[in-house]
Amino acid sequence: MAALLHYENMEIFALALFFISFFGLITSRNMIKSIIYIMLFQTSVVMFWLMLGRVGEALPMPPIINDPELLYDMSAIADPLPQALTLTAIIIGFAVIAIIITMMNVLTRKHGTADWNKLMVLEGQVE
Amino acid sequence: MLTFFVVVPVLIAVLLFALATNRVVRMIAIVFQSALFAASVYLVSITRDADFYTFVGSYENLLGITLRASSLSAVLVLLTTFIFLAVTVYSFVYEEQDARMFWFLMFVLEAAFIGLFLSGDLFNIFVLIEVSTLVTVILAMYDRKNRNIFHGKVFLMTNLVSVQFFLLGLGYVYRLTGAMDITRVTESLAVLDPANLRLPYVLIMTGVAFKNTLIPLFSWTPKVRIYPQAPTVVAAVMSGLQAKTSIYLFITFQDVFEPIAAHEIFLAIGIVTGVFGAYMAICQTNIKNLLAYSTVSQTGMIIVGFSLQTQYAHIGGLYHIISHAMFKTALFLCAGIIIRSYGTADLHKIRGVLRRMPVVGTATITAVLGIVGAPFFIGSVSKYFIFEGNHPGMMALSILMSLGTMVMFVKFSKIFFGQSDLQGISPVPEVTKVLPVVIIGGLCFLGGVLGTQLIYFLFRYVVVIHAWTYMYKSLIFIAVVGVGCLIYEKGIKGRIIFERMGAATTSFKMICASMGVFLAVMLVLVF
Repeated sequence: MAALLHYENMEIFALALFFISFFGLITSRNMIKSIIYIMLFQTSVVMFWLMLGRVGEALPMPPIINDPELLYDMSAIADPLPQALTLTAIIIGFAVIAIIITMMNVLTRKHGTADWNKLMVLEGQVE
Repeated sequence: MLTFFVVVPVLIAVLLFALATNRVVRMIAIVFQSALFAASVYLVSITRDADFYTFVGSYENLLGITLRASSLSAVLVLLTTFIFLAVTVYSFVYEEQDARMFWFLMFVLEAAFIGLFLSGDLFNIFVLIEVSTLVTVILAMYDRKNRNIFHGKVFLMTNLVSVQFFLLGLGYVYRLTGAMDITRVTESLAVLDPANLRLPYVLIMTGVAFKNTLIPLFSWTPKVRIYPQAPTVVAAVMSGLQAKTSIYLFITFQDVFEPIAAHEIFLAIGIVTGVFGAYMAICQTNIKNLLAYSTVSQTGMIIVGFSLQTQYAHIGGLYHIISHAMFKTALFLCAGIIIRSYGTADLHKIRGVLRRMPVVGTATITAVLGIVGAPFFIGSVSKYFIFEGNHPGMMALSILMSLGTMVMFVKFSKIFFGQSDLQGISPVPEVTKVLPVVIIGGLCFLGGVLGTQLIYFLFRYVVVIHAWTYMYKSLIFIAVVGVGCLIYEKGIKGRIIFERMGAATTSFKMICASMGVFLAVMLVLVF
């Protein structure tokens, strides 16, 4: 199990999570579940981006190194750019998810259900 | 210098957020907006020969974030500032509640669009796509009385899903090249093994095609559904400009992935989108829905222009971006005036616009003549170039698309004649609303008469319109008018089945599934 969770497999995990959550988006009937799957979907992309920062063999870490001997050892540091970009992506995702949850709140209070199919009927989209 | 183009709209936004209820402040905002417009004319004139760069933070190499004004992006900035100037004047007498927040968001949206056009950094493009989508949704649901949260929510959620594909694709690009700067990425991808580019290309193109409302993806349903509830100026900006940001992304990424760009696939998709969008537009009864589906159809036509791989078609595609922004903005603003005057958006109930509002009616007719491609109007020039010099099969398809557009505007044109007693909130439109409509309507005519000169000014292409071919196409146009009227009167008018089909919609799950199918099919086709 520990070997599976090794950083080298993380990218595959990220892609697996991407497609699992995508499958969830296609199949879930409940709006709350859809939102949870969207968040997982975002997380998988963020995870993929984080794994991009790996330069050498070590785990991705910020390039803050106290030991002067290790300063020019490229295997000990990570590329900081993907980490910075990921942070931006997370913040944007947070803002959008916040608005989606607010909208869901309004809808569920109005109709008393979070079921996609029932909402389609209640909103007059299908007969 | 390019930083100012992004910062000034934000400053206007803050100014209006503080004091938008004051008329003097709105005048100042219009003055600032005019200055921005003048500056973008200057930008177009200096970027015609070489790209113009600004390095944000003074890092003049790979590490820095660049703002890049190419010839195309400068023209799109010009278009953005012009249309926002028009909508600012249009909304000088403001009708909705809570004007401060509305204007704040509108100008933030302008800054996001300009930033998207000028950004030379792929990740910034992702950020600005997200910002513009979010602001658009909030603005589209601004009218509290008739907003529909369900459609807004589906729109936002599907866009969020599509942009994750885009972001994953960008991740692959970063892994392959180690850069996010468009120029560097293009240079690096050109020398890499094309086999490695397929997955990022397909992932990014899924996101971009979704934003473009292309046909195998069901993205047009939530998009069109939020139009009727949106305030008029928001609808105009969504159709006139937001659709253009997606097309700009399409052009950019086809250029970045030039070694493996799948032009034939997008040519086929563009043709299907053009025909299907027109068909769906014919089935609508709401005036705003009809115009929104027409945007779907015209987007297909622009995609065709950029996928045909000939010089003339490329120029035609570029010019069709401009012409579509012009006539669609004019049509939406006119529709706003008409809806306010009649108190309804039903195409079957509005009658006698020409008699009640002669000036607005004339401007609308100018825009309609532009969109159907009447001789001497703006649409005819761009359509002429898109389909110039291609083989006869393309010619037949172009006639099919024109016929679709013609039939929907035969339906639309019924509103000009007849008699109706319906009264809305303001039967006589204000001068500030009529003025921008008349100016844009006039440009629809001038852009047709001075088409080649305008193309030279904007894009530095020297083009010639052959008089005989133009005459020949004008004759075809007259034939299309006749056939279009006949089809509408005999085949479509009064048939309830078409309106049932026009109301068809799809669920969130279906839209997500269509994205997955598109991704899979594209992967198979590209490999």
